[in-house]
Amino acid sequence: MALNWYRFSSPATFYPLAGRLVPLFGWGAAVLAAVGLWLGFVVAPTDFQQGEVYRIIFIHVPSAWMSMFLYVVMAFWGALLLGFNTRLSGMMAQAIAPTGALMTFIALWSGALWGRPTWGTYWAWDARMTSELILLFLYFGIIALRQAIGDPRRADRACAVLALVGVVNIPIIYFSVKWWNTLHQGASVKLTGSSMETTMLAGMLVMSFAFWFYAIAVVLARVRTIVLERERGAAWVAELPEARSA
Amino acid sequence: MKPRHRRLAWIAAGLAVLGVAVALVLNAFQSNLVFFFSPTDVAEQKAPQGRTFRIGGLVEEKSVRRDGIVVHFNVTDTAKTIPVSYQGILPDLFKEGKGVVAQGKLGPDGVFVASEVLAKHDENYMPPEAAAAVSKAHIEAAEKNAAKTLVR
Amino acid sequence: MNHWHFILGAYGVTVLAMVVEILAARARRRAALEAARAGADAPVPGAQLSGTGGPG
Repeated sequence: MALNWYRFSSPATFYPLAGRLVPLFGWGAAVLAAVGLWLGFVVAPTDFQQGEVYRIIFIHVPSAWMSMFLYVVMAFWGALLLGFNTRLSGMMAQAIAPTGALMTFIALWSGALWGRPTWGTYWAWDARMTSELILLFLYFGIIALRQAIGDPRRADRACAVLALVGVVNIPIIYFSVKWWNTLHQGASVKLTGSSMETTMLAGMLVMSFAFWFYAIAVVLARVRTIVLERERGAAWVAELPEARSA
Repeated sequence: MKPRHRRLAWIAAGLAVLGVAVALVLNAFQSNLVFFFSPTDVAEQKAPQGRTFRIGGLVEEKSVRRDGIVVHFNVTDTAKTIPVSYQGILPDLFKEGKGVVAQGKLGPDGVFVASEVLAKHDENYMPPEAAAAVSKAHIEAAEKNAAKTLVR
Repeated sequence: MNHWHFILGAYGVTVLAMVVEILAARARRRAALEAARAGADAPVPGAQLSGTGGPG
Protein backbone atom coordinates (compact mmCIF):
# COMPACT_ATOMS: atom_id res chain seq x y z
CA MET A 1 0.00 0.00 0.00
CA ALA A 2 1.59 3.22 -1.07
CA LEU A 3 0.59 5.89 1.37
CA ASN A 4 1.10 9.39 0.12
CA TRP A 5 2.67 11.12 3.10
CA TYR A 6 2.86 14.38 1.25
CA ARG A 7 -0.91 14.42 1.22
CA PHE A 8 -0.93 14.77 5.01
CA SER A 9 1.62 17.53 4.89
CA SER A 10 -0.96 19.64 3.10
CA PRO A 11 -2.76 21.92 5.57
CA ALA A 12 -6.08 21.37 3.82
CA THR A 13 -5.92 17.62 4.48
CA PHE A 14 -4.36 17.96 7.90
CA TYR A 15 -6.90 20.43 9.26
CA PRO A 16 -9.95 18.09 9.39
CA LEU A 17 -7.80 15.11 10.44
CA ALA A 18 -6.39 17.06 13.41
CA GLY A 19 -9.94 18.19 14.20
CA ARG A 20 -11.01 14.57 14.68
CA LEU A 21 -7.92 13.74 16.79
CA VAL A 22 -8.15 16.66 19.26
CA PRO A 23 -11.19 15.43 21.26
CA LEU A 24 -9.86 11.86 21.12
CA PHE A 25 -6.57 12.81 22.78
CA GLY A 26 -8.23 15.36 25.05
CA TRP A 27 -10.63 12.87 26.57
CA GLY A 28 -7.89 10.25 26.59
CA ALA A 29 -5.79 12.62 28.70
CA ALA A 30 -8.67 13.16 31.13
CA VAL A 31 -9.28 9.42 31.59
CA LEU A 32 -5.55 8.67 31.97
CA ALA A 33 -5.14 11.49 34.49
CA ALA A 34 -8.07 10.14 36.54
CA VAL A 35 -6.53 6.64 36.59
CA GLY A 36 -3.05 8.03 37.27
CA LEU A 37 -4.20 10.20 40.18
CA TRP A 38 -6.16 7.29 41.64
CA LEU A 39 -3.03 5.13 41.46
CA GLY A 40 -0.89 7.96 42.81
CA PHE A 41 -3.05 9.08 45.72
CA VAL A 42 -5.10 6.01 46.67
CA VAL A 43 -3.13 2.90 45.66
CA ALA A 44 0.50 4.01 46.00
CA PRO A 45 1.86 3.79 49.56
CA THR A 46 3.54 6.52 51.61
CA ASP A 47 7.27 6.78 50.96
CA PHE A 48 9.68 5.53 53.65
CA GLN A 49 11.75 8.70 53.87
CA GLN A 50 9.67 11.52 52.34
CA GLY A 51 6.22 10.69 53.63
CA GLU A 52 3.36 12.04 51.49
CA VAL A 53 5.19 14.87 49.77
CA TYR A 54 6.84 12.51 47.28
CA ARG A 55 3.41 12.39 45.54
CA ILE A 56 4.49 15.54 43.68
CA ILE A 57 6.49 13.06 41.55
CA PHE A 58 3.29 12.19 39.65
CA ILE A 59 3.33 15.60 37.95
CA HIS A 60 6.99 16.53 38.35
CA VAL A 61 8.56 13.68 36.40
CA PRO A 62 5.94 13.55 33.59
CA SER A 63 6.14 17.32 33.02
CA ALA A 64 9.96 17.24 33.09
CA TRP A 65 10.00 14.37 30.59
CA MET A 66 7.50 16.20 28.36
CA SER A 67 9.50 19.45 28.54
CA MET A 68 12.52 17.66 27.06
CA PHE A 69 10.56 15.43 24.68
CA LEU A 70 8.53 18.29 23.20
CA TYR A 71 11.73 20.23 22.61
CA VAL A 72 13.22 17.33 20.66
CA VAL A 73 10.00 16.97 18.62
CA MET A 74 9.98 20.73 17.94
CA ALA A 75 13.61 20.56 16.77
CA PHE A 76 12.72 17.52 14.63
CA TRP A 77 9.98 19.47 12.84
CA GLY A 78 12.45 22.34 12.47
CA ALA A 79 14.94 19.98 10.82
CA LEU A 80 12.21 18.68 8.48
CA LEU A 81 11.33 22.24 7.55
CA LEU A 82 14.93 23.16 6.78
CA GLY A 83 15.50 19.91 4.88
CA PHE A 84 12.31 19.50 2.88
CA ASN A 85 10.66 22.91 3.20
CA THR A 86 7.33 21.32 4.12
CA ARG A 87 4.93 24.03 5.13
CA LEU A 88 3.22 22.11 7.90
CA SER A 89 6.53 21.44 9.72
CA GLY A 90 6.97 25.08 10.61
CA MET A 91 3.41 25.24 11.91
CA MET A 92 3.96 22.13 14.04
CA ALA A 93 7.13 23.61 15.54
CA GLN A 94 5.31 26.88 16.19
CA ALA A 95 2.44 25.05 17.90
CA ILE A 96 4.72 23.02 20.19
CA ALA A 97 6.74 25.91 21.69
CA PRO A 98 4.08 27.29 24.12
CA THR A 99 3.17 23.84 25.44
CA GLY A 100 6.86 23.00 25.84
CA ALA A 101 7.38 26.18 27.83
CA LEU A 102 4.35 25.33 29.97
CA MET A 103 5.68 21.83 30.72
CA THR A 104 9.08 23.29 31.65
CA PHE A 105 7.40 25.77 33.97
CA ILE A 106 5.35 22.99 35.63
CA ALA A 107 8.50 20.89 36.09
CA LEU A 108 10.36 23.80 37.70
CA TRP A 109 7.42 24.87 39.86
CA SER A 110 6.56 21.40 41.15
CA GLY A 111 10.26 20.76 41.69
CA ALA A 112 10.61 23.88 43.82
CA LEU A 113 7.62 22.90 45.97
CA TRP A 114 9.07 19.41 46.31
CA GLY A 115 12.59 20.63 47.08
CA ARG A 116 11.59 22.86 49.99
CA PRO A 117 10.18 20.15 52.27
CA THR A 118 12.73 17.49 51.29
CA TRP A 119 16.09 19.15 50.56
CA GLY A 120 15.37 22.26 52.60
CA THR A 121 15.41 24.74 49.70
CA TYR A 122 13.14 25.81 46.82
CA TRP A 123 16.05 26.31 44.47
CA ALA A 124 19.71 25.51 44.10
CA TRP A 125 22.00 26.37 41.20
CA ASP A 126 22.94 22.78 40.52
CA ALA A 127 23.48 21.46 36.99
CA ARG A 128 20.06 19.76 36.66
CA MET A 129 18.00 22.74 37.74
CA THR A 130 20.11 25.33 35.93
CA SER A 131 19.94 23.43 32.63
CA GLU A 132 16.15 23.00 32.98
CA LEU A 133 15.85 26.76 33.59
CA ILE A 134 17.91 27.33 30.43
CA LEU A 135 15.38 25.14 28.59
CA LEU A 136 12.60 27.49 29.71
CA PHE A 137 14.59 30.46 28.38
CA LEU A 138 15.18 28.60 25.09
CA TYR A 139 11.42 28.17 24.67
CA PHE A 140 10.89 31.86 25.53
CA GLY A 141 13.64 32.84 23.10
CA ILE A 142 12.06 30.83 20.27
CA ILE A 143 8.62 32.33 20.93
CA ALA A 144 10.09 35.86 21.06
CA LEU A 145 12.09 35.30 17.88
CA ARG A 146 8.91 34.36 15.99
CA GLN A 147 7.15 37.49 17.23
CA ALA A 148 10.13 39.60 16.22
CA ILE A 149 10.10 38.33 12.64
CA GLY A 150 6.80 39.29 11.04
CA ASP A 151 6.91 36.98 8.02
CA PRO A 152 5.84 33.44 9.07
CA ARG A 153 8.01 31.58 6.55
CA ARG A 154 11.17 33.45 7.60
CA ALA A 155 10.22 33.04 11.27
CA ASP A 156 9.85 29.27 10.70
CA ARG A 157 13.43 29.02 9.42
CA ALA A 158 14.98 31.23 12.11
CA CYS A 159 13.15 29.37 14.90
CA ALA A 160 14.16 26.02 13.40
CA VAL A 161 17.83 27.02 13.49
CA LEU A 162 17.59 28.27 17.08
CA ALA A 163 15.71 25.12 18.13
CA LEU A 164 18.34 22.88 16.54
CA VAL A 165 21.19 24.76 18.23
CA GLY A 166 19.40 24.43 21.59
CA VAL A 167 19.12 20.65 21.28
CA VAL A 168 22.57 20.34 22.91
CA ASN A 169 20.89 21.32 26.16
CA ILE A 170 18.69 18.20 26.22
CA PRO A 171 21.41 15.59 26.92
CA ILE A 172 22.93 18.07 29.37
CA ILE A 173 19.65 18.14 31.33
CA TYR A 174 19.20 14.40 31.18
CA PHE A 175 22.72 13.34 32.11
CA SER A 176 23.54 16.25 34.44
CA VAL A 177 22.83 14.11 37.51
CA LYS A 178 25.29 11.54 36.18
CA TRP A 179 28.05 13.80 34.91
CA TRP A 180 28.29 16.20 37.84
CA ASN A 181 27.69 16.39 41.55
CA THR A 182 24.16 17.69 41.90
CA LEU A 183 21.68 18.19 44.69
CA HIS A 184 19.07 16.54 42.46
CA GLN A 185 19.03 12.77 42.83
CA GLY A 186 19.71 10.36 39.98
CA ALA A 187 17.10 8.85 37.70
CA SER A 188 14.61 6.46 39.32
CA VAL A 189 13.60 4.99 35.99
CA LYS A 190 16.29 3.73 33.66
CA LEU A 191 16.36 1.31 30.75
CA THR A 192 17.80 -1.27 33.11
CA GLY A 193 14.95 -1.02 35.62
CA SER A 194 13.52 1.25 38.25
CA SER A 195 14.13 1.95 41.91
CA MET A 196 10.46 2.61 42.70
CA GLU A 197 7.80 0.46 44.25
CA THR A 198 5.52 -1.00 41.52
CA THR A 199 2.30 0.96 42.17
CA MET A 200 4.26 4.23 42.52
CA LEU A 201 5.93 3.53 39.20
CA ALA A 202 2.59 2.59 37.59
CA GLY A 203 1.03 5.87 38.76
CA MET A 204 3.93 7.85 37.38
CA LEU A 205 3.85 6.11 33.99
CA VAL A 206 0.07 6.50 33.61
CA MET A 207 0.41 10.19 34.48
CA SER A 208 3.17 10.45 31.87
CA PHE A 209 0.76 9.13 29.24
CA ALA A 210 -1.87 11.60 30.47
CA PHE A 211 0.60 14.48 29.99
CA TRP A 212 1.51 13.07 26.61
CA PHE A 213 -2.13 12.97 25.46
CA TYR A 214 -2.76 16.44 26.86
CA ALA A 215 0.21 17.84 24.95
CA ILE A 216 -0.86 16.14 21.70
CA ALA A 217 -4.43 17.47 22.04
CA VAL A 218 -3.35 21.06 22.80
CA VAL A 219 -0.66 21.11 20.11
CA LEU A 220 -2.99 19.72 17.43
CA ALA A 221 -5.67 22.25 18.39
CA ARG A 222 -3.10 25.02 18.14
CA VAL A 223 -1.84 23.77 14.76
CA ARG A 224 -5.40 24.03 13.45
CA THR A 225 -5.57 27.63 14.59
CA ILE A 226 -2.20 28.39 13.02
CA VAL A 227 -3.37 26.82 9.75
CA LEU A 228 -6.42 29.09 9.83
CA GLU A 229 -4.26 32.12 10.58
CA ARG A 230 -1.82 31.44 7.78
CA GLU A 231 -4.22 30.13 5.12
CA ARG A 232 -6.82 32.80 5.69
CA GLY A 233 -8.18 33.75 2.33
CA ALA A 234 -7.48 30.35 0.77
CA ALA A 235 -10.42 28.82 -1.06
CA TRP A 236 -10.64 25.71 1.15
CA VAL A 237 -10.74 27.83 4.33
CA ALA A 238 -13.62 29.87 2.95
CA GLU A 239 -15.50 26.61 2.34
CA LEU A 240 -15.14 25.40 5.95
CA PRO A 241 -18.54 25.37 7.65
CA GLU A 242 -17.10 27.01 10.80
CA ALA A 243 -15.50 29.80 8.75
CA ARG A 244 -18.54 30.63 6.64
CA SER A 245 -20.08 33.94 7.57
CA ALA A 246 -23.50 33.53 9.10
CA MET B 1 2.64 51.19 18.44
CA LYS B 2 3.74 50.88 14.83
CA PRO B 3 4.56 47.36 13.57
CA ARG B 4 8.21 48.33 13.26
CA HIS B 5 8.35 49.49 16.89
CA ARG B 6 6.57 46.36 18.01
CA ARG B 7 9.14 44.29 16.14
CA LEU B 8 12.01 46.20 17.73
CA ALA B 9 10.47 45.65 21.15
CA TRP B 10 10.28 41.90 20.50
CA ILE B 11 13.88 41.86 19.28
CA ALA B 12 14.94 43.66 22.46
CA ALA B 13 12.97 41.16 24.56
CA GLY B 14 14.55 38.27 22.64
CA LEU B 15 18.04 39.65 23.16
CA ALA B 16 17.35 40.13 26.87
CA VAL B 17 16.14 36.54 27.18
CA LEU B 18 19.16 35.29 25.24
CA GLY B 19 21.45 37.38 27.43
CA VAL B 20 19.96 35.93 30.60
CA ALA B 21 20.31 32.41 29.18
CA VAL B 22 23.97 32.96 28.28
CA ALA B 23 24.66 34.49 31.70
CA LEU B 24 23.05 31.45 33.33
CA VAL B 25 25.15 29.06 31.24
CA LEU B 26 28.37 30.88 32.01
CA ASN B 27 27.50 31.12 35.68
CA ALA B 28 26.71 27.41 35.74
CA PHE B 29 29.91 26.43 33.98
CA GLN B 30 32.03 28.65 36.18
CA SER B 31 31.01 27.53 39.61
CA ASN B 32 28.04 25.24 39.66
CA LEU B 33 28.90 22.24 37.54
CA VAL B 34 30.64 21.15 40.70
CA PHE B 35 27.74 21.70 43.05
CA PHE B 36 29.63 20.20 45.95
CA PHE B 37 33.00 18.69 46.81
CA SER B 38 33.42 15.33 48.52
CA PRO B 39 35.53 15.00 51.69
CA THR B 40 38.15 13.28 49.52
CA ASP B 41 38.25 16.32 47.21
CA VAL B 42 38.77 18.53 50.25
CA ALA B 43 41.54 16.28 51.59
CA GLU B 44 43.24 16.48 48.18
CA GLN B 45 42.91 20.28 48.29
CA LYS B 46 40.66 20.32 45.22
CA ALA B 47 38.12 22.50 47.00
CA PRO B 48 38.53 26.29 46.83
CA GLN B 49 40.70 27.64 49.65
CA GLY B 50 39.54 30.43 51.91
CA ARG B 51 36.12 30.96 50.34
CA THR B 52 32.65 29.54 50.63
CA PHE B 53 31.98 26.20 48.97
CA ARG B 54 29.75 23.15 49.45
CA ILE B 55 30.67 19.73 50.70
CA GLY B 56 28.54 16.67 50.09
CA GLY B 57 28.51 13.13 51.39
CA LEU B 58 26.74 11.00 53.95
CA VAL B 59 26.07 12.04 57.53
CA GLU B 60 28.26 9.60 59.44
CA GLU B 61 26.36 7.20 61.69
CA LYS B 62 26.30 8.21 65.39
CA SER B 63 28.15 11.46 64.65
CA VAL B 64 25.27 13.91 65.20
CA ARG B 65 25.73 15.77 68.46
CA ARG B 66 23.78 18.78 69.67
CA ASP B 67 25.61 21.42 71.68
CA GLY B 68 22.97 23.99 72.64
CA ILE B 69 21.84 25.51 69.35
CA VAL B 70 24.89 24.27 67.45
CA VAL B 71 24.75 20.89 65.72
CA HIS B 72 27.93 18.92 65.11
CA PHE B 73 28.13 16.04 62.65
CA ASN B 74 30.62 14.37 60.34
CA VAL B 75 30.29 14.24 56.54
CA THR B 76 31.88 11.16 55.03
CA ASP B 77 32.34 9.58 51.61
CA THR B 78 33.52 6.41 53.42
CA ALA B 79 37.14 7.24 52.44
CA LYS B 80 37.55 10.61 54.19
CA THR B 81 35.53 12.38 56.88
CA ILE B 82 35.09 16.07 57.65
CA PRO B 83 33.62 17.43 60.92
CA VAL B 84 30.90 20.03 60.39
CA SER B 85 29.32 22.51 62.78
CA TYR B 86 26.03 24.21 61.96
CA GLN B 87 23.68 26.60 63.67
CA GLY B 88 20.18 26.65 62.22
CA ILE B 89 17.22 24.57 61.16
CA LEU B 90 17.99 21.19 59.64
CA PRO B 91 15.80 19.86 56.80
CA ASP B 92 13.36 17.06 57.65
CA LEU B 93 15.28 14.51 55.64
CA PHE B 94 18.54 15.20 57.48
CA LYS B 95 19.41 11.83 59.00
CA GLU B 96 22.43 9.79 59.98
CA GLY B 97 23.50 7.57 57.11
CA LYS B 98 21.71 9.79 54.55
CA GLY B 99 23.01 12.23 51.97
CA VAL B 100 23.74 15.84 52.89
CA VAL B 101 25.09 18.96 51.17
CA ALA B 102 26.45 21.73 53.39
CA GLN B 103 27.53 25.21 52.32
CA GLY B 104 30.13 27.10 54.35
CA LYS B 105 33.81 27.64 55.00
CA LEU B 106 36.57 25.35 56.14
CA GLY B 107 38.15 26.72 59.30
CA PRO B 108 41.86 26.52 60.11
CA ASP B 109 41.07 23.83 62.68
CA GLY B 110 39.70 21.57 59.91
CA VAL B 111 36.10 22.03 61.01
CA PHE B 112 33.68 23.01 58.24
CA VAL B 113 31.44 25.81 59.52
CA ALA B 114 28.18 25.51 57.59
CA SER B 115 25.79 28.37 56.89
CA GLU B 116 23.25 26.19 55.08
CA VAL B 117 22.55 22.46 55.26
CA LEU B 118 20.49 20.68 52.59
CA ALA B 119 19.39 17.05 52.55
CA LYS B 120 20.22 15.05 49.45
CA HIS B 121 17.90 12.09 49.15
CA ASP B 122 18.37 9.13 46.83
CA GLU B 123 16.18 8.00 43.94
CA ASN B 124 14.58 5.09 45.79
CA TYR B 125 10.86 5.24 46.53
CA MET B 126 9.15 2.52 48.58
CA PRO B 127 6.80 2.01 51.51
CA PRO B 128 8.30 2.04 55.05
CA GLU B 129 7.83 -1.73 55.56
CA ALA B 130 9.84 -2.52 52.44
CA ALA B 131 12.48 0.00 53.45
CA ALA B 132 12.81 -1.60 56.89
CA ALA B 133 13.25 -5.06 55.38
CA VAL B 134 15.79 -3.81 52.87
CA SER B 135 17.81 -1.86 55.40
CA LYS B 136 17.86 -4.76 57.86
CA ALA B 137 19.16 -7.13 55.22
CA HIS B 138 21.69 -4.92 53.51
CA ILE B 139 22.43 -2.00 55.76
CA GLU B 140 26.13 -2.19 55.02
CA ALA B 141 25.81 -2.72 51.28
CA ALA B 142 23.23 0.03 50.87
CA GLU B 143 25.45 2.52 52.65
CA LYS B 144 28.40 1.77 50.47
CA ASN B 145 26.19 2.00 47.39
CA ALA B 146 24.74 5.34 48.43
CA ALA B 147 28.22 6.66 49.11
CA LYS B 148 29.29 5.58 45.64
CA THR B 149 26.30 7.35 44.09
CA LEU B 150 27.11 10.49 45.99
CA VAL B 151 30.81 10.57 45.38
CA ARG B 152 31.14 9.05 41.93
CA MET C 1 5.95 15.00 57.89
CA ASN C 2 2.91 15.41 55.67
CA HIS C 3 3.34 18.52 53.59
CA TRP C 4 -0.05 18.58 51.95
CA HIS C 5 0.11 22.31 51.26
CA PHE C 6 3.17 21.75 49.06
CA ILE C 7 1.34 18.98 47.18
CA LEU C 8 -1.71 21.23 46.80
CA GLY C 9 0.46 24.09 45.54
CA ALA C 10 2.14 21.89 42.93
CA TYR C 11 -1.07 20.29 41.64
CA GLY C 12 -3.15 23.47 41.89
CA VAL C 13 -0.77 25.57 39.83
CA THR C 14 -0.40 22.75 37.29
CA VAL C 15 -4.17 22.55 36.75
CA LEU C 16 -4.43 26.35 36.66
CA ALA C 17 -1.65 26.60 34.06
CA MET C 18 -3.33 23.99 31.87
CA VAL C 19 -6.72 25.70 32.13
CA VAL C 20 -5.12 29.02 31.15
CA GLU C 21 -3.40 27.34 28.19
CA ILE C 22 -6.66 25.76 26.98
CA LEU C 23 -8.59 29.04 27.34
CA ALA C 24 -5.85 30.93 25.49
CA ALA C 25 -5.86 28.36 22.68
CA ARG C 26 -9.67 28.63 22.41
CA ALA C 27 -9.57 32.43 22.32
CA ARG C 28 -6.93 32.33 19.61
CA ARG C 29 -9.02 29.89 17.56
CA ARG C 30 -12.08 32.13 17.86
CA ALA C 31 -10.03 35.11 16.69
CA ALA C 32 -8.65 33.10 13.74
CA LEU C 33 -12.14 31.96 12.71
CA GLU C 34 -13.37 35.53 12.97
CA ALA C 35 -10.56 36.66 10.68
CA ALA C 36 -11.25 33.78 8.28
CA ARG C 37 -14.91 34.82 8.09
CA ALA C 38 -13.88 38.38 7.35
CA GLY C 39 -11.41 37.01 4.81
CA ALA C 40 -14.15 35.06 3.07
CA ASP C 41 -15.96 38.31 2.34
CA ALA C 42 -12.87 40.26 1.37
CA PRO C 43 -9.89 38.02 0.59
CA VAL C 44 -6.60 39.16 2.05
CA PRO C 45 -4.21 40.22 -0.69
CA GLY C 46 -1.12 38.04 -0.91
CA ALA C 47 -2.58 35.13 1.05
CA GLN C 48 -1.38 31.72 0.00
CA LEU C 49 -4.02 30.14 -2.13
CA SER C 50 -2.46 26.68 -2.22
CA GLY C 51 -5.02 24.62 -0.42
CA THR C 52 -4.96 21.20 -1.96
CA GLY C 53 -2.15 18.67 -2.02
CA GLY C 54 1.51 18.95 -2.84
CA PRO C 55 4.52 19.57 -0.63
CA GLY C 56 5.59 23.00 0.53
